Amino acid sequence: MDITLRVNGTTRTGSAEPRRTLADFLREDLDLTGTHVGCEHGVCGACTVIVDGRAVRACLMLAVQATGSEITTVEGLAPDGELGGLQQAMWDSHSFQCGFCTPGFVMQATAFLRAHPDADEQQIREALSGNICRCTGYQSIIDGVLLAAGREHQG
Amino acid sequence: MVVGACVCGRNGCQGRLSGPGILSNDCRWIEGPLMKLPPVDYEAPETVSEALELLAEHLDEASVLAGGQSLIPLLALRLARPAVLIDINGIDELSGVSVTDDTVAVGAMTREYVAEESTTVAGTVPLLAAALPLIGHEAIRSRGTIGGSLAHADPAAELPAVALALDAEFVVRSSKSGERVISAAEWFEGYLTTSRRPDELLVEVRFPTAGPGTGISFQEVARRHGDFAMVGLAAALTLSDGTISDARLAFAGISDVPVRASEAENLLMGERPSAALFDEAARRATGDIDPPADLHGTSEYRKKVAATLVRRGLQTAAADAGERQ
Amino acid sequence: MTGIVAERYTGASIKRSEDPRILTGAGRYVDDIKLPRMLHAAFVRSPLAHARVLSVDVSAARALPGVVAAFTGAELEAMTVPGPDALMALMGWAGPTPEFTLLATDKVRFVGDPVAIVIAESRYLAEDGCELAEVEYDDLPPVANAAFALDPGSPPLFANLGDNIARPHSRKQYGDVSGTFADADRVIDFHIDVHRHQNVPMEGRGCVASYDADLGTLTIHAATQSVHVSKIAVAMRLGMEQDKVRALAGDIGGSFGLKIGASREELAVAAASRDLGRPVKWVEDRGENLTASGQAREESFDVRAAVSNDGDLLGLDVNAIIDTGAYPGMGAMVPDIMEAMLPGPYKLAALGFESTAVTTNKASYVAYRGPWASETFVRERVLDLVAKDLGIDPLEIRLRNAAPRTDPPASMVTGRPLVGVTTRESLERVAQLVDIPAFRRRQAEARAHGRYLGIGVATFIEAAPGPREPGGPSGPMGMESMRLRLEEDGIVVLFTGQMPHGQSHQTTLAQIAADEFGVPFDQVRVVVGDTDVVPFGLTGGSRSATMTGGVALHGARQLKVKVLDFASNLMEASAQDLLITDGNVWVRGDPASAIPVSEVARRAASGDFGTGVDASLEVEAAFDGGEGGWSGGSHCAIVEVDVETGLVKVERYVVAEDCGALINPAVVEGQIRGGIAQGIGAVLLERSAYDEDGNCQSATFMDYLLPTSCDIPRIEIEHLETVPLDADVNFRGVGEGGMIVTPPTVVNAIEDALSPFGVRIYEQHLPPARILELIAAADSSQ
Repeated sequence: MDITLRVNGTTRTGSAEPRRTLADFLREDLDLTGTHVGCEHGVCGACTVIVDGRAVRACLMLAVQATGSEITTVEGLAPDGELGGLQQAMWDSHSFQCGFCTPGFVMQATAFLRAHPDADEQQIREALSGNICRCTGYQSIIDGVLLAAGREHQG
Repeated sequence: MVVGACVCGRNGCQGRLSGPGILSNDCRWIEGPLMKLPPVDYEAPETVSEALELLAEHLDEASVLAGGQSLIPLLALRLARPAVLIDINGIDELSGVSVTDDTVAVGAMTREYVAEESTTVAGTVPLLAAALPLIGHEAIRSRGTIGGSLAHADPAAELPAVALALDAEFVVRSSKSGERVISAAEWFEGYLTTSRRPDELLVEVRFPTAGPGTGISFQEVARRHGDFAMVGLAAALTLSDGTISDARLAFAGISDVPVRASEAENLLMGERPSAALFDEAARRATGDIDPPADLHGTSEYRKKVAATLVRRGLQTAAADAGERQ
Repeated sequence: MTGIVAERYTGASIKRSEDPRILTGAGRYVDDIKLPRMLHAAFVRSPLAHARVLSVDVSAARALPGVVAAFTGAELEAMTVPGPDALMALMGWAGPTPEFTLLATDKVRFVGDPVAIVIAESRYLAEDGCELAEVEYDDLPPVANAAFALDPGSPPLFANLGDNIARPHSRKQYGDVSGTFADADRVIDFHIDVHRHQNVPMEGRGCVASYDADLGTLTIHAATQSVHVSKIAVAMRLGMEQDKVRALAGDIGGSFGLKIGASREELAVAAASRDLGRPVKWVEDRGENLTASGQAREESFDVRAAVSNDGDLLGLDVNAIIDTGAYPGMGAMVPDIMEAMLPGPYKLAALGFESTAVTTNKASYVAYRGPWASETFVRERVLDLVAKDLGIDPLEIRLRNAAPRTDPPASMVTGRPLVGVTTRESLERVAQLVDIPAFRRRQAEARAHGRYLGIGVATFIEAAPGPREPGGPSGPMGMESMRLRLEEDGIVVLFTGQMPHGQSHQTTLAQIAADEFGVPFDQVRVVVGDTDVVPFGLTGGSRSATMTGGVALHGARQLKVKVLDFASNLMEASAQDLLITDGNVWVRGDPASAIPVSEVARRAASGDFGTGVDASLEVEAAFDGGEGGWSGGSHCAIVEVDVETGLVKVERYVVAEDCGALINPAVVEGQIRGGIAQGIGAVLLERSAYDEDGNCQSATFMDYLLPTSCDIPRIEIEHLETVPLDADVNFRGVGEGGMIVTPPTVVNAIEDALSPFGVRIYEQHLPPARILELIAAADSSQ
């Protein structure tokens, strides 16, 4: 089936059989390998992207369902190479180690901070509890999100 | 994910069975684990009547794709093998929340996050509002739908217990028989099985608005934040002049369907809230239950926790009722 | 310009050079690799735990459009050279050697055992092909647990072994075991179980194998902890010359011991690529990772403790049974390390240790972060249990038994000298940080209100790298090599065999080299992941801080000497009068003389100098660990147990640790916290579960539960001042310690919380249902 959608601000077209997940379509058909596949059953969150403004697990959407959507992947946050505020804060906070879970966290946190710029630590922990990291114990990730939120406040 | 055992009889087979339209009888573990979806046809109707025509045509061979948060994992694990997916995400008329008199109608495709953010829902069906944030995680609720969760009917999920506690009504339509309204008590038939006929589409779920003096509580015991409940409880108490005039208790996770604790409800009627009363209600609610056992909890464990949740849930609901009076 | 100031990177939390690509999705993991004409593999796997394979028919798979090839186990045997398990060969295993084929041919030995490989245009089609394979099995009784495996009547998994003993029973004694036990005030018996759990990196195993038929070469893009070990394993199995195989690795999504050597699946993929002359990719899915990649830690211990009434732990006698699963590996080898480490940093005078490892029809036992960790669990649990029996405070019993730091150092009864250990300091410091008396008051008040808080303490040491033995030819971790080169553009390049998979080597090694050589941090580049280019190395055993940090330090010094020797030809000064600071070479006392290092390099590469001048600005360095040393620390957890639901919350977690000199504190803390999270996960959430027929019950993330951001508290870490042993290299490894000591810390806390009920805990996995069972059992036994 033909698919036309906007990804990171650009119109992209492709073709996929119905069973192909959005995660596989983004990675293999559109060469956007930043979105990672960690479990393929919707638990680990590594495949999180933003679809029409909402954080979504790309492994739980079919590519054909995304036709007509506006999607942001991790590659879309720093298109000209300059890190966005959240990414910079995560860099400053040593948020990550192996990096495999990272795009999912970055996208989930991006969506969450847009909707809840004043979130406290507990709220951030709950919001990110659907993303699994095996390396960090989460504290450094939370610190990165808190730092980003704090800097936004300072303007 | 415990389902009925495969009928192949082969030692070690882990093929899963459930109801019609969800799973085939074939032993599917023999080549597994596999995690890419199997081949499937796909239709994306734009209106309810188109969807109904497709359902009438494909019946058991079709699965309705709503939010996909439950169905797509089943497909990925190759535990579900429909011939065709009927994707109803494009049918706009299926979304929305509206209030008429004392009924709140929630379109089947209303996203869980929309219902969660809805001040209408918070104001009219507080028990539903209390349960929604416990469903999975934000990203799940971005896509998951009220109707989808209730049609999937996982007995450990939050919404079936809420619907059963509130005697919600399920509105289904088919091209052959028109519209049918099914009570919650009749909707949940078995594990992942509802009384929806293969040619029917769930279009709307109707919840009663909470009356004055009604306090609610939704609590669950899960392994981690956002997980399915090992045991969950939807509770509502209505107090009139300090006396219980209505009591609702529905469990998640203690059977293959959500379960109303009617004996306990009857005990509570007409009584004044007290710790001793709630203890007795807990005993009545759990004395006869025989919950399933799995990796996460034994039957004995779930039974104990169910009793704890009744005590805690009633305490919370009573306090909440006090605040709302 | 007043002078030139050198920046000090070592010891600072320098931001990682890995992060710009990690944070923008530009990392390159195995599944991101796309090569022209690349195919995808999937495996047909056994649904049975133990069975004879009667026939394998992949003809229907081959006939499916989009499927390019399918190979049975028998066909793969014809395509490969049989050989021993790569890891066991690497570690010099001399025990029983089971005979088995690359993919199962005559027998399957666990649910998930690969039987055939299907290769297709997409992974989707390959899996469709797998469904069409027809395999006929003849069921055999499953050997589903160690008890049955020990029974000589159990059907042997491997015909050539004749039984299910992977490592025969052996016993060693240290000190006067019988005398110590005979003279002790008390001898207390325990049986302690550690449950099966596993690595679960977020990225599974996988590779892209690409055979070039024209050149007869094979390139493996691997997810691995050592590209050289991967290459050797593949070359051997394929019967290829080593120089015809190249292993490459980019970014790796975690491993924790899983991705060493080449798995049977990866070898099958390589053989398939060679046969087809096309690249073949296989990345395991989560189901495969949970059921087939390997599991760890399933051990049980009969323990006798000889104690004095005052709380001296005089002797331990331990009988360990290791369940190594179906195929050989780490499990048969881990008892040796357990035995050596069991005394820990204590004055233990006598140790008896015996062990047996058995094969069972479960996934194979693999190395998982601190594979020997159960020795710490057993010892730190025993100390708490003994303390309770004797009515002694758990902190006091540890302080009483901790070996003092003497000169010459005391030794563990198993031999290694406890030089430089700061156990006493870490115990005292963690107690201070937590304010235990204040906690006890809070605990008492909470109990009065029906809330159950508990506190647990545990301490450990880790041989990362361990001390140099007096008179030893080299350190305990062998040698570490590195090549360092000054490029024409002034960049200092470090070529290392380390294969970072979260350890931040590209940052930490650059910090050290930048400081030693004298260039800004951004002027150092660390090259990893190409067997054509890097020396032999392996990331594991928490070796890199000392071994690789050390070789980077010494190598950078050696390179500097060479560069300054050459630069003296340019600057009309002798090499002794030259310095490198902040990327410039200058004559001491004359800042105006400074020229950039890049200029020196450019001149060296120009060829202007004759053969009398050494202009090759490159060194090959090697380091044997110097004086080495122990890493270690004490952990303290405060938990609350809901005794009605069995749910446990870790409220506070405090660490006082000593890993020597810190290269990058943020990196060190990240490693510790990650290990702690895995330890908390092991106790509260994670179990690789099998039923009595050998069916894996934890095959998805809905059943194998990992801790989330709501399960791990803020972890407070204090770095203790270390005892430096070496003139230059006092960095010590910290990668595994967090995971090693956390399980007993948390279990000690849970037992303390439940002490009003009289609960005693002899196991490591405590899900909510088990907590309630323990309370009920203790209640009913009173």
